[in-house]
Amino acid sequence: MVFAHGFGCDQNMWRFVEPTFAGDFKTVLFDHVGAGGSDLKAYDRSKYATLAGYADDVVEIGRELGLKDAVFVGHSVSSMIGALAVQKAPGMFGKLVMVGPSARYIDDDNYVGGFSEQQIEELLQFLDSNHMGWSAQMAPAIMGNPDRPELGEELTNSFCRTDPEIAKAFARVTFKSDNRADLAKIDIPTLVLQCSEDVIASKEVGEFVHRGIPGSELIILEATGHCPNLSAPDEVIAAMKTFV
Amino acid sequence: MDSRRIDDFQDMFDNAPCGYVTLLTNGRIARVNRKLLGWTGHTPDQMIGKPFSGFLNMAGRIYYETHIAPLLRMQGFFDGFAIDMVTAAGEHLQMIASATDGRDAGGKTLFTRIALIKAVDRRLYERGLLEARDTAAMGLARERENSELREQFIAVLGHDLRNPLASISAGARILGRDATTEKQHQILAMLETTVMRMAGLIDNVLDFARGRLGGGIILDRNANAPVERMLHQVIDELRLSSPGRQIEAEYAIDAPVNCDRIRIGQLVSNLVGNALSHGATNEPVRVRAVTEDGLFKLSVANGGEPIPEAAMEKLFEPFFRGEVRASRQGLGLGLHIASQIAKAHEGSLNVTSTVEETRFTFVMPLR
Repeated sequence: MVFAHGFGCDQNMWRFVEPTFAGDFKTVLFDHVGAGGSDLKAYDRSKYATLAGYADDVVEIGRELGLKDAVFVGHSVSSMIGALAVQKAPGMFGKLVMVGPSARYIDDDNYVGGFSEQQIEELLQFLDSNHMGWSAQMAPAIMGNPDRPELGEELTNSFCRTDPEIAKAFARVTFKSDNRADLAKIDIPTLVLQCSEDVIASKEVGEFVHRGIPGSELIILEATGHCPNLSAPDEVIAAMKTFV
Repeated sequence: MDSRRIDDFQDMFDNAPCGYVTLLTNGRIARVNRKLLGWTGHTPDQMIGKPFSGFLNMAGRIYYETHIAPLLRMQGFFDGFAIDMVTAAGEHLQMIASATDGRDAGGKTLFTRIALIKAVDRRLYERGLLEARDTAAMGLARERENSELREQFIAVLGHDLRNPLASISAGARILGRDATTEKQHQILAMLETTVMRMAGLIDNVLDFARGRLGGGIILDRNANAPVERMLHQVIDELRLSSPGRQIEAEYAIDAPVNCDRIRIGQLVSNLVGNALSHGATNEPVRVRAVTEDGLFKLSVANGGEPIPEAAMEKLFEPFFRGEVRASRQGLGLGLHIASQIAKAHEGSLNVTSTVEETRFTFVMPLR
């Protein structure tokens, strides 16, 4: 069972969910390149300019571990990264769990994603105002020692630290992505977990994803917000157990 | 309520120098203090029971959901983040905030408290700094690109300028074999001189461009190769190209000189060329190279008019050109590059100029 985090944090996102499954499954946690403890030197601007670049990494991890028929659990944007990985490597994943997915965040002619182009631009600007525990002075220590995060611990916010430039690029690729056409190509059993109140991925957006994926299952959680895996892990675990 | 008491906690909550808001675990507002209501222009009814993120601008909402809420669950606090609230009038209110989770004994989150400080000016100032940084970064990237292009251009230019010179020189040498008259020999010697001067100019121009754009002059030092032979060769060439002029050379080199011989040759060539251009034509140019007191000293002297006081200061600056007849007019780079070569050798190049003589002296440690 592979757990993939979304925009804004790292594999810590799964800390309340993954341990439950670690008994019955071989669980795989990872940080996307550019996030958490990943090697920032491996960040390639052009590769990660599309979600396909992130999906390639998932496939690479899967090949390295020899995954067959595995469960892919993706939060937020990683739901769509999973959708792409499923297409890229048939047989690698047998089941797909999407937590708070959106196939497109920006409104379109007859589609409500919840955001306008301009609001996304504002977000990219705003991200500059919050350095997330990242400072130019600390960057070399953190970058040079991805396996020793304690080096940066004196900083206030020690989780979810990212290079601001990479965070911005990830925000751009996330919020400008459009994977509506990929939904119909998902040919494995899929569970969509939707929060009852989520400003990032509204109920309509979740239902759109559910309708688009043939034979998929939709569970509306009582949890609110965009990160039920942290705020309501028990509910997420229970829903996942009915599926896997 | 006339007299406010110092230990009145309700008053402290409502009239604190910051905004306070308490959220339930579902993100809805349970309590809000009067200060924040005043800042935002909302009534308690408008705020209580509503999702806090609904009072943020869109960027703030996304940030709250993707960063603040997860971090609060993970570490229980999040200090000093920027967030924009939206007032009842629809205006953005720039804030700096800190949030703390309230948890029960089992670690279960019960509520979240957020303190907000109005930071319009500070955020504006930060915005300005960020913009300045971005502008500088963009400018730097553009400059780097230009400088790379220029480097390539210089390399190609140097190559393309040297090739035709080599052909002219080779052609003149072939013609020299069949030259019979004095006139023919004179013309061929003149051709050789011109080629040499031209080659020297190209070297100087390329060095100057590179020295300025790249990391200065890079040396290829060798302490074992003899310096004297190189000096002989350079001075012989200069004699050949300046018929009718006398160049006296005196050597006393008895220790190895750890230098880049090609560069020192260029330095000598530039200094002697300078002396030939500016010195009295009826007096010899005197070159002296010695090793003494752990130093390598090389001087080039000529007679004639002394260098004017005003010119002395600018002598080693690029593009400085003294009064000289047009045919000898250079680019004004020779002395500048000679001084750069001296500097690269951790040495110095100095000048003294009197009515008796003008003398340039290069000194470098032997080490």
